[in-house]
Amino acid sequence: MASEERTAEILDKLRQAVYDFEEDDTVKWANTALEEGVDPFKATLDGLATGMIEAGEAYNRKEYFVPELLMCADALYAGLNILKPAIEASGRSAEVKGSIVLGVVEGDVHDIGKNLVKMMFEVAGWTVYDLGKDVPLDRFVEEQLKTDSEVVGLSALMTTSMLAMPEVIKRIRAKNPKVRIMLGGAPINPEIAEKYGADGYAKTAGTAVDEAINLLKMLKEEEGSK
Amino acid sequence: MNSRERVQALFNRQKPDYVPVFSGYGNITVHGLKKHGWKFPEIHTDAVKMAKMANSTYELFGFECSVAPFDMGVEAEVLGAKVNFYTHQDGILYPTIVEHPAEKTTELQINIPDNLAQAGRLPVVTEALGMMKKDLGNEVMIGSWVLGPYTLAGQLVDLSDLSKSAFKRTDLVNQILETLTGYLISVIDLYRKAGADYITVREMGAGPDILSPRMFKNLIQPHLIRLFESIQSPKVLHMCGDTNAIVELLNECGADALSLEKKNQIAETRSKLGDEVLIFGDIDPYGVLVEGDNSDVEVAVKQALDAGVNALWPGCDIWPDVPAENMKALMDNARKHGKLL
Repeated sequence: MASEERTAEILDKLRQAVYDFEEDDTVKWANTALEEGVDPFKATLDGLATGMIEAGEAYNRKEYFVPELLMCADALYAGLNILKPAIEASGRSAEVKGSIVLGVVEGDVHDIGKNLVKMMFEVAGWTVYDLGKDVPLDRFVEEQLKTDSEVVGLSALMTTSMLAMPEVIKRIRAKNPKVRIMLGGAPINPEIAEKYGADGYAKTAGTAVDEAINLLKMLKEEEGSK
Repeated sequence: MNSRERVQALFNRQKPDYVPVFSGYGNITVHGLKKHGWKFPEIHTDAVKMAKMANSTYELFGFECSVAPFDMGVEAEVLGAKVNFYTHQDGILYPTIVEHPAEKTTELQINIPDNLAQAGRLPVVTEALGMMKKDLGNEVMIGSWVLGPYTLAGQLVDLSDLSKSAFKRTDLVNQILETLTGYLISVIDLYRKAGADYITVREMGAGPDILSPRMFKNLIQPHLIRLFESIQSPKVLHMCGDTNAIVELLNECGADALSLEKKNQIAETRSKLGDEVLIFGDIDPYGVLVEGDNSDVEVAVKQALDAGVNALWPGCDIWPDVPAENMKALMDNARKHGKLL
């Protein structure tokens, strides 16, 4: 087992490697983490994911742009490929875990934002049902029913495709009023999310997971109070 | 002055009687579709329908231009991309690219057809432009538009791969943009000859929401400079999103006017760039024109004029579901607050 100090160092190396979009370093330190007995779930969350969240913050500060974020994501996945089998083998999992149906609404083929959000959910140990892009509205409803996912996430880059969102929300609600709906994408803001009847709004991939966990906690509390 | 003379005066650096209200890209409405009894998907592939729809917003509301085409697939389709027109849908869905000629930037081969004038839907667009010119050419300026080279590249390969390549394989992306710029110059030439009076280049995929200002300067701007050098006036550069960090770079591209939208601080841009440059904007096509009411439209018109726009342009395509009363409010308030002479 790595000492506390060594563990902290490894986590920091993983974080930095993702932030610096150094795939080789991410692989190297992910292997080191396993060799030295660092909890792979911790390495994922406190190492890889932390680096990605910092990259998201750098995007918000306009220090990073889309190419940098995508390269960070590649680095993160390189590490995740190594750590994930170990997480599964260990039986260790996230504390607040759920499943989410994700997709880009019909009429929109831009999926960079959705893919980044997907990655963050995977890192957090959620099950992601990814419908892809240009998804007909009824597919969201069907997939939610089929998988009984607690959260549905809808993404749109273009204002023109954002307008399909209220209709999907209406259809999902009609079938299952309990499901939590999150919106994300360039034209979406909190006011639009609220107006469309969504439960949450994700400005970035990093905040999407926090937002989803909050929604899930709400859902569980409501169920508990019944 | 009629609408044509008003917009002409603007581009000729003379003073129009009123600040004109027009656009460089799509401005069709469901009211035009209703008038003709057509569905949205069918107007992208038929020259007569395209022309009549392009004319309809002027005819119904006095919006001071006629512009075609309406979708962002025309240029890419010629180069081998497959377009989905959503013909099975009743609602408004803009055509999208469903299949790229290549997914990886390294595998993209750009084959420009020998007989470009007859390739893809270019003959539909040029025929439509000819009809628009014939029908309304004395009343309004006829407009057409193309995507900028980088935004077009994003229609030809996977966008994530292109973004990363812009960073990691800059030389390759630079070559692609060089080729696409030459192609776009030829497309614009066809549009001009067919009847387009002014051209707008939409390079929204390369703004600071996506690429760094440094990358814009090094990789994107040189191609835009060449493009604008190679085409005649009037010519407009449109960028949406948060463009505040690159307005000087945009201004150096050589367009006669910049079209910017609500995420740009127009008043600040005006003070950075001075009074000489023409700035068009920045009416929010969804938040104001679709969602707002008469007073919201009035506020938006006044704000844009106060900030110093030379023409009132929607920040993007007019969303077809725009209420008729808001289109009317846009025109009325532009006249009420935009008198220059």
